[in-house]
Amino acid sequence: MAVKIVEVKNLKKSYKKRKTKEYITAVNDISFTVNKGEILGLLGPNGAGKTTTIKMICGLVVPDSGAITINGIDNQSKRLRAQEHISAVLEGNRNLYWRLTVRENMEYFAGNRGKSRKEVTSQIEELLHQFRLKDKENEMVNRLSRGMQQKLAIAVAMLAGSEVILLDEPTLGLDIETGYEVRELLREIVREQKRTIIITSHDMDVIQDLCERTVIINSGKVVTNDRVENLMKLFEVRAYVIKLDGHLSEEQHHLLLEKFPLLVYTPDTFQSTLEVELTQSQDIYELFDVLKLEQIPVDTIDRKTINFEQVFMKIVKGETQDAVSERA
Amino acid sequence: MRFLNVLSANIRREFILLKRYLPNTIAMLVTFYVIFIGMFFGISLIGDPTTQDANIQYVIVNYIFWFLAMLVVNDIGWQITNEATQGTLEQLGMSPMGIWRIMLSRLLSTTIVEFIIIIGLLYLSMFTAGQWLNIDVLSILPILILTLISMFGLGLIIAGFTMIIKQIQAFLQILQFLLAGLTFVPLSVAPFLAFFPFVKGVDMVREVMINGTTITEFGVGDISILVFNGIFYFGIGLFIFLRCERYAMSKGLLAHY
Repeated sequence: MAVKIVEVKNLKKSYKKRKTKEYITAVNDISFTVNKGEILGLLGPNGAGKTTTIKMICGLVVPDSGAITINGIDNQSKRLRAQEHISAVLEGNRNLYWRLTVRENMEYFAGNRGKSRKEVTSQIEELLHQFRLKDKENEMVNRLSRGMQQKLAIAVAMLAGSEVILLDEPTLGLDIETGYEVRELLREIVREQKRTIIITSHDMDVIQDLCERTVIINSGKVVTNDRVENLMKLFEVRAYVIKLDGHLSEEQHHLLLEKFPLLVYTPDTFQSTLEVELTQSQDIYELFDVLKLEQIPVDTIDRKTINFEQVFMKIVKGETQDAVSERA
Repeated sequence: MRFLNVLSANIRREFILLKRYLPNTIAMLVTFYVIFIGMFFGISLIGDPTTQDANIQYVIVNYIFWFLAMLVVNDIGWQITNEATQGTLEQLGMSPMGIWRIMLSRLLSTTIVEFIIIIGLLYLSMFTAGQWLNIDVLSILPILILTLISMFGLGLIIAGFTMIIKQIQAFLQILQFLLAGLTFVPLSVAPFLAFFPFVKGVDMVREVMINGTTITEFGVGDISILVFNGIFYFGIGLFIFLRCERYAMSKGLLAHY
Protein backbone atom coordinates (compact mmCIF):
# COMPACT_ATOMS: atom_id res chain seq x y z
CA MET A 1 0.00 0.00 0.00
CA ALA A 2 1.25 3.49 -0.86
CA VAL A 3 2.62 5.47 2.09
CA LYS A 4 1.66 9.14 2.11
CA ILE A 5 4.73 11.30 2.77
CA VAL A 6 3.26 14.74 2.03
CA GLU A 7 -0.32 15.65 2.91
CA VAL A 8 -1.75 19.01 1.94
CA LYS A 9 -5.19 19.78 3.37
CA ASN A 10 -7.46 22.73 2.56
CA LEU A 11 -4.59 25.11 2.01
CA LYS A 12 -5.46 28.78 1.55
CA LYS A 13 -3.27 31.80 0.97
CA SER A 14 -4.09 35.38 0.00
CA TYR A 15 -1.81 38.35 -0.47
CA LYS A 16 -2.70 42.00 -0.01
CA LYS A 17 -1.87 44.26 -2.93
CA ARG A 18 0.32 47.12 -1.73
CA LYS A 19 -1.30 49.85 -3.77
CA THR A 20 -4.98 48.94 -3.89
CA LYS A 21 -4.98 47.05 -0.54
CA GLU A 22 -7.25 44.43 -2.08
CA TYR A 23 -6.63 40.76 -1.39
CA ILE A 24 -5.54 38.38 -4.13
CA THR A 25 -6.19 34.71 -3.59
CA ALA A 26 -3.09 32.77 -4.58
CA VAL A 27 -4.18 29.38 -3.26
CA ASN A 28 -7.81 28.55 -2.60
CA ASP A 29 -8.55 25.37 -0.66
CA ILE A 30 -6.00 23.04 -2.18
CA SER A 31 -5.74 19.44 -0.98
CA PHE A 32 -3.61 16.59 -2.29
CA THR A 33 -1.24 13.91 -1.09
CA VAL A 34 2.09 12.62 -2.36
CA ASN A 35 3.13 9.01 -1.94
CA LYS A 36 6.58 7.90 -0.88
CA GLY A 37 8.87 7.24 -3.86
CA GLU A 38 6.60 9.03 -6.31
CA ILE A 39 7.39 11.80 -8.81
CA LEU A 40 4.44 14.15 -8.70
CA GLY A 41 3.97 16.95 -11.21
CA LEU A 42 2.44 20.12 -9.81
CA LEU A 43 1.22 22.02 -12.83
CA GLY A 44 -0.66 25.14 -13.68
CA PRO A 45 -0.45 28.24 -15.84
CA ASN A 46 1.44 31.33 -14.65
CA GLY A 47 -0.14 32.73 -11.51
CA ALA A 48 -2.02 29.50 -10.76
CA GLY A 49 -0.50 29.23 -7.29
CA LYS A 50 2.17 26.55 -7.90
CA THR A 51 5.13 28.42 -6.46
CA THR A 52 3.12 29.62 -3.44
CA THR A 53 2.06 26.00 -2.82
CA ILE A 54 5.67 24.78 -3.18
CA LYS A 55 6.89 27.46 -0.77
CA MET A 56 4.20 26.63 1.76
CA ILE A 57 5.26 22.96 1.61
CA CYS A 58 8.90 24.05 2.12
CA GLY A 59 7.88 26.13 5.14
CA LEU A 60 8.94 29.40 3.50
CA VAL A 61 5.44 30.85 3.31
CA VAL A 62 2.89 30.60 6.11
CA PRO A 63 -0.59 29.57 4.89
CA ASP A 64 -3.68 31.53 5.99
CA SER A 65 -5.39 28.26 6.82
CA GLY A 66 -5.08 24.55 6.15
CA ALA A 67 -2.42 22.06 7.11
CA ILE A 68 0.66 20.45 5.60
CA THR A 69 2.31 17.37 7.05
CA ILE A 70 5.69 16.07 5.91
CA ASN A 71 6.29 12.49 6.98
CA GLY A 72 3.54 12.96 9.55
CA ILE A 73 5.06 16.15 10.99
CA ASP A 74 3.01 19.35 10.91
CA ASN A 75 5.10 21.92 9.07
CA GLN A 76 3.55 24.87 10.90
CA SER A 77 3.81 23.90 14.56
CA LYS A 78 7.05 21.91 14.03
CA ARG A 79 8.50 23.71 11.03
CA LEU A 80 12.16 23.00 11.67
CA ARG A 81 11.52 19.30 12.34
CA ALA A 82 9.49 19.04 9.15
CA GLN A 83 12.29 20.75 7.22
CA GLU A 84 14.60 17.83 8.13
CA HIS A 85 12.56 15.81 5.63
CA ILE A 86 12.44 18.30 2.80
CA SER A 87 14.79 20.18 0.50
CA ALA A 88 14.14 22.23 -2.60
CA VAL A 89 15.57 23.84 -5.68
CA LEU A 90 13.51 26.94 -6.24
CA GLU A 91 12.93 28.67 -9.55
CA GLY A 92 15.77 30.80 -10.88
CA ASN A 93 19.48 30.27 -10.78
CA ARG A 94 20.29 31.82 -7.42
CA ASN A 95 20.03 28.81 -5.16
CA LEU A 96 23.83 28.86 -4.80
CA TYR A 97 26.64 31.16 -3.72
CA TRP A 98 28.29 32.33 -6.92
CA ARG A 99 31.58 33.27 -5.28
CA LEU A 100 32.04 29.82 -3.75
CA THR A 101 33.22 26.77 -5.67
CA VAL A 102 31.13 23.70 -6.41
CA ARG A 103 32.57 21.77 -3.46
CA GLU A 104 32.46 24.78 -1.13
CA ASN A 105 28.77 25.29 -1.90
CA MET A 106 28.02 21.65 -1.12
CA GLU A 107 29.96 21.78 2.13
CA TYR A 108 28.47 25.12 3.15
CA PHE A 109 24.84 24.13 2.63
CA ALA A 110 25.39 20.78 4.36
CA GLY A 111 27.03 22.65 7.25
CA ASN A 112 24.04 24.98 7.50
CA ARG A 113 21.84 21.91 7.96
CA GLY A 114 23.99 20.94 10.93
CA LYS A 115 26.12 18.32 9.16
CA SER A 116 29.86 18.12 9.72
CA ARG A 117 32.31 18.16 6.82
CA LYS A 118 33.48 14.66 7.73
CA GLU A 119 29.91 13.39 7.71
CA VAL A 120 29.30 14.48 4.12
CA THR A 121 32.71 13.97 2.49
CA SER A 122 31.96 10.59 0.92
CA GLN A 123 28.44 11.70 -0.06
CA ILE A 124 29.86 14.78 -1.79
CA GLU A 125 32.29 12.57 -3.73
CA GLU A 126 29.44 10.31 -4.84
CA LEU A 127 27.26 13.22 -5.89
CA LEU A 128 30.11 14.93 -7.77
CA HIS A 129 30.54 11.74 -9.79
CA GLN A 130 26.83 11.07 -10.21
CA PHE A 131 26.16 14.61 -11.42
CA ARG A 132 29.36 14.66 -13.53
CA LEU A 133 30.70 17.67 -11.66
CA LYS A 134 33.92 16.10 -10.37
CA ASP A 135 36.15 17.95 -12.83
CA LYS A 136 34.47 21.23 -11.87
CA GLU A 137 34.59 20.79 -8.09
CA ASN A 138 37.03 23.67 -7.59
CA GLU A 139 35.38 25.94 -10.13
CA MET A 140 33.46 28.95 -8.86
CA VAL A 141 29.73 28.75 -9.52
CA ASN A 142 29.61 32.00 -11.52
CA ARG A 143 31.90 30.35 -14.07
CA LEU A 144 29.65 27.33 -14.59
CA SER A 145 27.10 26.97 -17.36
CA ARG A 146 23.39 27.31 -16.48
CA GLY A 147 23.01 23.54 -16.80
CA MET A 148 25.88 22.82 -14.45
CA GLN A 149 24.55 25.33 -11.93
CA GLN A 150 21.19 23.59 -12.04
CA LYS A 151 22.79 20.16 -11.59
CA LEU A 152 24.76 21.51 -8.64
CA ALA A 153 21.60 23.00 -7.08
CA ILE A 154 19.93 19.58 -7.34
CA ALA A 155 23.04 17.89 -5.90
CA VAL A 156 22.95 20.33 -2.95
CA ALA A 157 19.29 19.47 -2.38
CA MET A 158 20.20 15.75 -2.54
CA LEU A 159 22.99 16.24 -0.01
CA ALA A 160 20.42 17.37 2.55
CA GLY A 161 19.43 13.70 2.73
CA SER A 162 15.74 14.59 2.83
CA GLU A 163 13.09 12.10 1.69
CA VAL A 164 11.20 14.78 -0.24
CA ILE A 165 12.77 17.03 -2.86
CA LEU A 166 10.86 19.90 -4.45
CA LEU A 167 12.01 21.14 -7.82
CA ASP A 168 10.55 24.34 -9.20
CA GLU A 169 11.17 24.45 -12.96
CA PRO A 170 14.32 22.27 -12.88
CA THR A 171 14.85 22.27 -16.65
CA LEU A 172 14.05 25.93 -17.34
CA GLY A 173 16.69 27.53 -19.55
CA LEU A 174 18.64 24.31 -20.09
CA ASP A 175 19.69 23.07 -23.50
CA ILE A 176 18.16 19.82 -24.78
CA GLU A 177 21.13 17.67 -23.81
CA THR A 178 21.41 18.98 -20.25
CA GLY A 179 17.64 18.90 -19.82
CA TYR A 180 17.71 15.23 -20.79
CA GLU A 181 20.63 14.61 -18.43
CA VAL A 182 18.72 16.23 -15.54
CA ARG A 183 15.67 14.07 -16.31
CA GLU A 184 17.80 10.93 -16.21
CA LEU A 185 19.34 12.00 -12.93
CA LEU A 186 15.94 12.58 -11.36
CA ARG A 187 14.71 9.19 -12.54
CA GLU A 188 17.83 7.61 -11.06
CA ILE A 189 17.30 9.39 -7.73
CA VAL A 190 13.76 8.03 -7.41
CA ARG A 191 14.63 4.54 -8.68
CA GLU A 192 17.76 3.95 -6.63
CA GLN A 193 17.21 6.05 -3.54
CA LYS A 194 13.43 5.85 -3.24
CA ARG A 195 13.16 9.59 -2.72
CA THR A 196 9.98 11.51 -3.41
CA ILE A 197 10.03 14.36 -5.90
CA ILE A 198 7.50 17.12 -6.42
CA ILE A 199 8.22 18.92 -9.64
CA THR A 200 6.75 21.97 -11.31
CA SER A 201 7.50 22.64 -14.95
CA HIS A 202 6.13 24.38 -17.99
CA ASP A 203 7.82 21.73 -20.11
CA MET A 204 5.11 19.12 -20.53
CA ASP A 205 7.56 16.70 -22.14
CA VAL A 206 9.43 16.64 -18.84
CA ILE A 207 6.21 16.04 -16.92
CA GLN A 208 5.00 13.35 -19.31
CA ASP A 209 8.39 11.69 -19.21
CA LEU A 210 8.99 11.81 -15.45
CA CYS A 211 5.75 12.00 -13.52
CA GLU A 212 3.41 9.19 -12.64
CA ARG A 213 0.75 11.57 -11.40
CA THR A 214 -0.04 15.24 -11.77
CA VAL A 215 -1.97 17.74 -9.73
CA ILE A 216 -3.08 20.56 -11.99
CA ILE A 217 -4.05 23.81 -10.34
CA ASN A 218 -5.64 26.85 -11.88
CA SER A 219 -6.68 30.09 -10.20
CA GLY A 220 -5.57 28.64 -6.88
CA LYS A 221 -7.75 25.51 -7.07
CA VAL A 222 -7.03 21.88 -7.90
CA VAL A 223 -8.53 21.21 -11.31
CA THR A 224 -7.44 17.62 -11.60
CA ASN A 225 -5.42 15.09 -9.68
CA ASP A 226 -4.80 11.94 -11.69
CA ARG A 227 -2.18 9.67 -13.17
CA VAL A 228 -0.61 11.01 -16.36
CA GLU A 229 -1.52 7.88 -18.31
CA ASN A 230 -5.16 8.15 -17.23
CA LEU A 231 -5.35 11.76 -18.38
CA MET A 232 -3.72 10.84 -21.67
CA LYS A 233 -6.16 7.97 -22.22
CA LEU A 234 -9.09 10.12 -21.28
CA PHE A 235 -8.34 12.62 -24.01
CA GLU A 236 -6.83 10.21 -26.53
CA VAL A 237 -10.05 8.25 -27.07
CA ARG A 238 -12.01 11.41 -27.64
CA ALA A 239 -10.03 12.80 -30.55
CA TYR A 240 -10.20 11.33 -34.08
CA VAL A 241 -8.74 12.03 -37.50
CA ILE A 242 -10.99 10.94 -40.38
CA LYS A 243 -9.78 10.94 -43.99
CA LEU A 244 -12.54 11.42 -46.54
CA ASP A 245 -12.50 10.55 -50.23
CA GLY A 246 -13.46 13.84 -51.85
CA HIS A 247 -14.79 16.99 -50.27
CA LEU A 248 -17.72 18.14 -48.15
CA SER A 249 -20.32 20.47 -49.53
CA GLU A 250 -21.03 23.75 -47.70
CA GLU A 251 -24.26 22.31 -46.28
CA GLN A 252 -22.57 19.13 -45.10
CA HIS A 253 -19.82 21.15 -43.45
CA HIS A 254 -22.38 23.34 -41.64
CA LEU A 255 -24.39 20.33 -40.59
CA LEU A 256 -21.33 18.66 -39.08
CA LEU A 257 -20.25 21.85 -37.33
CA GLU A 258 -23.70 22.22 -35.79
CA LYS A 259 -23.48 18.78 -34.26
CA PHE A 260 -19.71 18.79 -33.53
CA PRO A 261 -18.56 22.33 -32.76
CA LEU A 262 -14.96 21.25 -32.14
CA LEU A 263 -14.69 19.74 -35.64
CA VAL A 264 -11.91 20.98 -37.95
CA TYR A 265 -12.34 20.42 -41.69
CA THR A 266 -9.27 20.61 -43.98
CA PRO A 267 -9.85 20.02 -47.69
CA ASP A 268 -6.93 18.81 -49.83
CA THR A 269 -6.57 18.18 -53.57
CA PHE A 270 -8.23 14.77 -53.71
CA GLN A 271 -9.01 14.02 -50.10
CA SER A 272 -10.08 15.97 -47.10
CA THR A 273 -9.55 15.58 -43.38
CA LEU A 274 -11.90 15.89 -40.45
CA GLU A 275 -10.38 16.34 -37.02
CA VAL A 276 -12.93 15.97 -34.30
CA GLU A 277 -12.86 16.11 -30.54
CA LEU A 278 -15.93 14.65 -28.93
CA THR A 279 -17.50 16.06 -25.81
CA GLN A 280 -18.41 13.70 -22.98
CA SER A 281 -22.03 13.41 -24.14
CA GLN A 282 -21.09 12.66 -27.77
CA ASP A 283 -20.25 9.34 -29.32
CA ILE A 284 -18.15 8.59 -32.41
CA TYR A 285 -21.11 6.60 -33.82
CA GLU A 286 -23.18 9.80 -33.95
CA LEU A 287 -20.57 11.16 -36.36
CA PHE A 288 -20.63 7.97 -38.41
CA ASP A 289 -24.43 8.18 -38.63
CA VAL A 290 -24.21 11.70 -40.05
CA LEU A 291 -21.47 10.70 -42.54
CA LYS A 292 -23.50 7.66 -43.63
CA LEU A 293 -26.72 9.65 -43.97
CA GLU A 294 -24.98 12.27 -46.07
CA GLN A 295 -23.23 9.54 -48.08
CA ILE A 296 -19.80 10.96 -47.38
CA PRO A 297 -17.17 8.32 -48.31
CA VAL A 298 -14.72 7.57 -45.47
CA ASP A 299 -11.21 6.40 -46.30
CA THR A 300 -9.56 5.94 -42.89
CA ILE A 301 -10.31 6.61 -39.22
CA ASP A 302 -7.53 7.07 -36.71
CA ARG A 303 -7.34 8.10 -33.11
CA LYS A 304 -5.67 11.44 -32.96
CA THR A 305 -2.37 11.32 -31.10
CA ILE A 306 -2.36 13.85 -28.31
CA ASN A 307 0.52 14.97 -26.18
CA PHE A 308 0.42 15.95 -22.56
CA GLU A 309 0.76 19.62 -23.38
CA GLN A 310 -2.55 19.49 -25.22
CA VAL A 311 -4.15 17.59 -22.36
CA PHE A 312 -2.85 20.21 -19.93
CA MET A 313 -4.16 23.07 -22.06
CA LYS A 314 -7.60 21.50 -22.28
CA ILE A 315 -7.77 20.96 -18.55
CA VAL A 316 -6.60 24.48 -17.78
CA LYS A 317 -8.99 26.05 -20.27
CA GLY A 318 -11.80 24.08 -18.68
CA GLU A 319 -12.89 22.77 -22.08
CA THR A 320 -13.10 19.32 -20.71
CA GLN A 321 -14.16 20.04 -17.16
CA ASP A 322 -17.05 17.61 -17.43
CA ALA A 323 -14.81 14.81 -18.63
CA VAL A 324 -12.38 15.27 -15.81
CA SER A 325 -14.92 15.70 -13.05
CA GLU A 326 -16.97 12.76 -14.33
CA ARG A 327 -13.87 10.63 -14.29
CA ALA A 328 -12.91 11.84 -10.81
CA MET B 1 26.85 19.83 18.36
CA ARG B 2 24.85 20.61 15.22
CA PHE B 3 25.15 24.33 15.93
CA LEU B 4 28.93 23.89 16.07
CA ASN B 5 28.77 22.41 12.56
CA VAL B 6 26.80 25.46 11.39
CA LEU B 7 29.34 27.72 13.09
CA SER B 8 32.30 25.87 11.59
CA ALA B 9 30.73 26.07 8.09
CA ASN B 10 30.29 29.82 8.49
CA ILE B 11 33.80 30.43 9.85
CA ARG B 12 35.18 28.47 6.89
CA ARG B 13 33.06 30.55 4.52
CA GLU B 14 34.36 33.74 6.15
CA PHE B 15 37.99 32.68 5.58
CA ILE B 16 37.25 31.58 2.01
CA LEU B 17 35.69 34.97 1.21
CA LEU B 18 38.62 36.85 2.78
CA LYS B 19 40.92 34.85 0.52
CA ARG B 20 38.69 35.20 -2.53
CA TYR B 21 38.31 38.96 -2.16
CA LEU B 22 42.03 39.34 -1.47
CA PRO B 23 42.37 42.97 -2.69
CA ASN B 24 39.51 43.98 -0.34
CA THR B 25 41.12 42.09 2.51
CA ILE B 26 44.49 43.72 1.91
CA ALA B 27 42.82 47.13 1.73
CA MET B 28 41.07 46.43 5.04
CA LEU B 29 44.35 45.36 6.70
CA VAL B 30 46.19 48.44 5.42
CA THR B 31 43.34 50.75 6.49
CA PHE B 32 43.33 49.42 10.04
CA TYR B 33 47.07 49.54 10.30
CA VAL B 34 47.17 53.13 9.07
CA ILE B 35 44.33 54.15 11.41
CA PHE B 36 46.05 52.61 14.45
CA ILE B 37 49.40 54.10 13.58
CA GLY B 38 47.67 57.44 12.96
CA MET B 39 46.11 57.26 16.39
CA PHE B 40 49.40 56.46 18.11
CA PHE B 41 51.44 59.12 16.38
CA GLY B 42 48.66 61.68 15.93
CA ILE B 43 47.78 61.87 19.61
CA SER B 44 51.51 61.88 20.50
CA LEU B 45 52.02 64.86 18.21
CA ILE B 46 48.99 67.02 18.93
CA GLY B 47 47.69 65.76 22.28
CA ASP B 48 48.46 66.83 25.83
CA PRO B 49 51.63 64.92 26.85
CA THR B 50 50.40 64.49 30.45
CA THR B 51 47.28 62.60 29.34
CA GLN B 52 48.74 61.12 26.18
CA ASP B 53 48.65 57.45 27.25
CA ALA B 54 45.08 57.68 28.51
CA ASN B 55 43.97 59.48 25.34
CA ILE B 56 45.50 56.89 23.05
CA GLN B 57 43.91 54.03 24.99
CA TYR B 58 40.56 55.85 25.11
CA VAL B 59 40.48 56.50 21.37
CA ILE B 60 41.69 53.02 20.43
CA VAL B 61 39.19 51.21 22.69
CA ASN B 62 36.37 53.37 21.34
CA TYR B 63 37.46 52.81 17.76
CA ILE B 64 37.71 49.01 18.16
CA PHE B 65 34.28 48.83 19.79
CA TRP B 66 32.77 51.09 17.17
CA PHE B 67 34.20 48.82 14.50
CA LEU B 68 32.87 45.72 16.29
CA ALA B 69 29.45 47.32 16.73
CA MET B 70 29.35 48.25 13.04
CA LEU B 71 30.47 44.76 12.11
CA VAL B 72 27.92 43.00 14.26
CA VAL B 73 24.97 45.36 13.96
CA ASN B 74 25.33 46.85 10.49
CA ASP B 75 26.99 44.02 8.63
CA ILE B 76 24.25 41.51 9.42
CA GLY B 77 21.71 43.89 7.90
CA TRP B 78 23.75 44.10 4.69
CA GLN B 79 24.17 40.33 4.67
CA ILE B 80 20.41 39.73 4.90
CA THR B 81 19.84 42.28 2.13
CA ASN B 82 22.39 40.54 -0.09
CA GLU B 83 21.03 37.07 0.64
CA ALA B 84 17.48 38.20 -0.12
CA THR B 85 18.55 39.94 -3.34
CA GLN B 86 20.60 36.95 -4.49
CA GLY B 87 17.83 34.49 -3.66
CA THR B 88 19.86 32.46 -1.19
CA LEU B 89 17.88 33.62 1.86
CA GLU B 90 15.14 31.14 0.96
CA GLN B 91 17.70 28.33 0.90
CA LEU B 92 18.79 29.36 4.39
CA GLY B 93 15.12 29.47 5.39
CA MET B 94 14.80 25.81 4.45
CA SER B 95 17.50 24.72 6.85
CA PRO B 96 16.17 22.74 9.82
CA MET B 97 18.57 24.78 11.96
CA GLY B 98 16.46 27.91 11.40
CA ILE B 99 17.62 31.20 9.89
CA TRP B 100 18.37 32.67 13.34
CA ARG B 101 20.99 30.05 14.16
CA ILE B 102 22.65 30.57 10.77
CA MET B 103 22.62 34.34 11.23
CA LEU B 104 23.96 34.02 14.76
CA SER B 105 26.77 31.81 13.50
CA ARG B 106 27.47 34.42 10.79
CA LEU B 107 27.67 37.08 13.51
CA LEU B 108 30.00 34.89 15.56
CA SER B 109 32.20 33.92 12.64
CA THR B 110 32.65 37.47 11.29
CA THR B 111 33.32 38.71 14.83
CA ILE B 112 35.86 35.97 15.59
CA VAL B 113 37.71 36.28 12.28
CA GLU B 114 37.78 40.08 12.13
CA PHE B 115 38.52 40.43 15.84
CA ILE B 116 41.58 38.19 15.47
CA ILE B 117 42.71 40.36 12.53
CA ILE B 118 42.14 43.64 14.34
CA ILE B 119 43.93 42.50 17.51
CA GLY B 120 46.84 41.23 15.40
CA LEU B 121 47.04 44.62 13.70
CA LEU B 122 46.77 46.44 17.02
CA TYR B 123 49.80 44.54 18.33
CA LEU B 124 51.66 45.23 15.08
CA SER B 125 50.85 48.95 15.42
CA MET B 126 52.00 48.97 19.09
CA PHE B 127 55.24 47.29 18.00
CA THR B 128 55.75 49.82 15.19
CA ALA B 129 54.98 52.82 17.40
CA GLY B 130 56.94 51.45 20.33
CA GLN B 131 54.00 52.27 22.63
CA TRP B 132 52.32 49.44 24.50
CA LEU B 133 48.75 49.57 25.74
CA ASN B 134 47.59 47.93 28.96
CA ILE B 135 45.80 44.83 27.68
CA ASP B 136 44.71 42.67 30.61
CA VAL B 137 43.25 39.76 28.64
CA LEU B 138 41.82 37.97 31.70
CA SER B 139 39.83 41.04 32.72
CA ILE B 140 38.89 42.18 29.23
CA LEU B 141 37.76 38.84 27.80
CA PRO B 142 34.71 38.16 30.05
CA ILE B 143 33.57 41.80 29.70
CA LEU B 144 34.06 41.60 25.95
CA ILE B 145 32.07 38.37 25.63
CA LEU B 146 29.12 39.77 27.62
CA THR B 147 29.28 43.02 25.64
CA LEU B 148 29.29 41.10 22.36
CA ILE B 149 26.22 39.13 23.45
CA SER B 150 24.26 42.37 23.79
CA MET B 151 25.65 43.51 20.42
CA PHE B 152 24.47 40.23 18.87
CA GLY B 153 21.00 40.96 20.24
CA LEU B 154 21.04 44.33 18.50
CA GLY B 155 22.36 42.61 15.36
CA LEU B 156 19.43 40.18 15.41
CA ILE B 157 16.96 43.08 15.74
CA ILE B 158 18.48 44.76 12.67
CA ALA B 159 18.56 41.43 10.79
CA GLY B 160 14.88 40.87 11.59
CA PHE B 161 13.81 44.31 10.40
CA THR B 162 15.94 43.95 7.27
CA MET B 163 13.87 40.91 6.28
CA ILE B 164 10.65 42.90 6.27
CA ILE B 165 11.66 46.48 5.43
CA LYS B 166 13.18 46.97 2.02
CA GLN B 167 14.36 50.52 2.58
CA ILE B 168 16.44 49.60 5.61
CA GLN B 169 19.72 50.54 3.88
CA ALA B 170 19.12 54.23 4.49
CA PHE B 171 18.65 53.51 8.18
CA LEU B 172 21.80 51.36 8.24
CA GLN B 173 23.78 54.36 7.00
CA ILE B 174 22.48 56.48 9.87
CA LEU B 175 22.93 53.66 12.36
CA GLN B 176 26.71 53.82 12.13
CA PHE B 177 26.63 57.34 13.59
CA LEU B 178 24.29 56.25 16.39
CA LEU B 179 26.70 53.41 17.14
CA ALA B 180 29.60 55.87 17.16
CA GLY B 181 27.67 57.97 19.67
CA LEU B 182 27.07 54.98 21.92
CA THR B 183 30.72 53.90 21.87
CA PHE B 184 32.40 57.32 22.15
CA VAL B 185 30.22 59.02 24.79
CA PRO B 186 31.57 58.26 28.30
CA LEU B 187 29.10 56.98 30.89
CA SER B 188 30.08 59.76 33.29
CA VAL B 189 28.43 62.22 30.90
CA ALA B 190 25.22 60.22 30.50
CA PRO B 191 24.88 57.50 33.20
CA PHE B 192 21.51 56.30 31.86
CA LEU B 193 23.35 54.96 28.80
CA ALA B 194 24.56 52.07 31.01
CA PHE B 195 21.31 50.30 30.13
CA PHE B 196 21.82 50.75 26.42
CA PRO B 197 23.34 47.78 24.61
CA PHE B 198 27.14 47.43 24.92
CA VAL B 199 27.75 50.94 26.42
CA LYS B 200 28.43 49.57 29.92
CA GLY B 201 30.83 46.97 28.48
CA VAL B 202 32.81 49.57 26.53
CA ASP B 203 33.04 51.71 29.64
CA MET B 204 34.33 48.78 31.70
CA VAL B 205 36.94 47.85 29.09
CA ARG B 206 38.13 51.48 29.09
CA GLU B 207 38.35 51.26 32.88
CA VAL B 208 40.53 48.13 32.58
CA MET B 209 42.80 49.57 29.91
CA ILE B 210 43.15 53.13 31.15
CA ASN B 211 42.98 52.78 34.95
CA GLY B 212 44.26 49.22 35.19
CA THR B 213 41.16 47.97 37.03
CA THR B 214 40.89 44.16 37.17
CA ILE B 215 37.66 42.20 36.76
CA THR B 216 37.53 41.39 40.49
CA GLU B 217 37.64 45.08 41.38
CA PHE B 218 34.36 45.85 39.63
CA GLY B 219 31.32 46.07 41.87
CA VAL B 220 28.39 43.61 41.77
CA GLY B 221 26.27 46.41 40.31
CA ASP B 222 28.59 46.85 37.31
CA ILE B 223 28.77 43.13 36.59
CA SER B 224 25.00 42.75 37.08
CA ILE B 225 24.25 45.52 34.57
CA LEU B 226 26.64 43.92 32.09
CA VAL B 227 25.05 40.47 32.50
CA PHE B 228 21.53 41.92 32.46
CA ASN B 229 22.27 43.87 29.25
CA GLY B 230 23.67 40.74 27.59
CA ILE B 231 20.68 38.56 28.48
CA PHE B 232 18.07 41.28 27.91
CA TYR B 233 19.28 42.51 24.52
CA PHE B 234 20.03 39.03 23.22
CA GLY B 235 16.61 37.79 24.39
CA ILE B 236 14.74 40.73 22.92
CA GLY B 237 16.85 40.51 19.73
CA LEU B 238 15.99 36.86 19.23
CA PHE B 239 12.31 37.50 20.00
CA ILE B 240 12.10 40.34 17.47
CA PHE B 241 14.03 38.36 14.86
CA LEU B 242 11.67 35.38 15.16
CA ARG B 243 8.61 37.64 14.98
CA CYS B 244 10.00 39.38 11.89
CA GLU B 245 10.83 36.02 10.30
CA ARG B 246 7.27 34.83 10.90
CA TYR B 247 5.89 38.08 9.45
CA ALA B 248 8.18 37.80 6.41
CA MET B 249 7.02 34.23 5.88
CA SER B 250 3.36 35.13 6.19
CA LYS B 251 3.78 37.92 3.63
CA GLY B 252 6.09 35.87 1.39
CA LEU B 253 8.89 38.43 1.72
CA LEU B 254 11.91 36.12 1.88
CA ALA B 255 12.23 36.07 -1.90
CA HIS B 256 10.44 39.15 -3.13
CA TYR B 257 13.08 41.65 -2.25
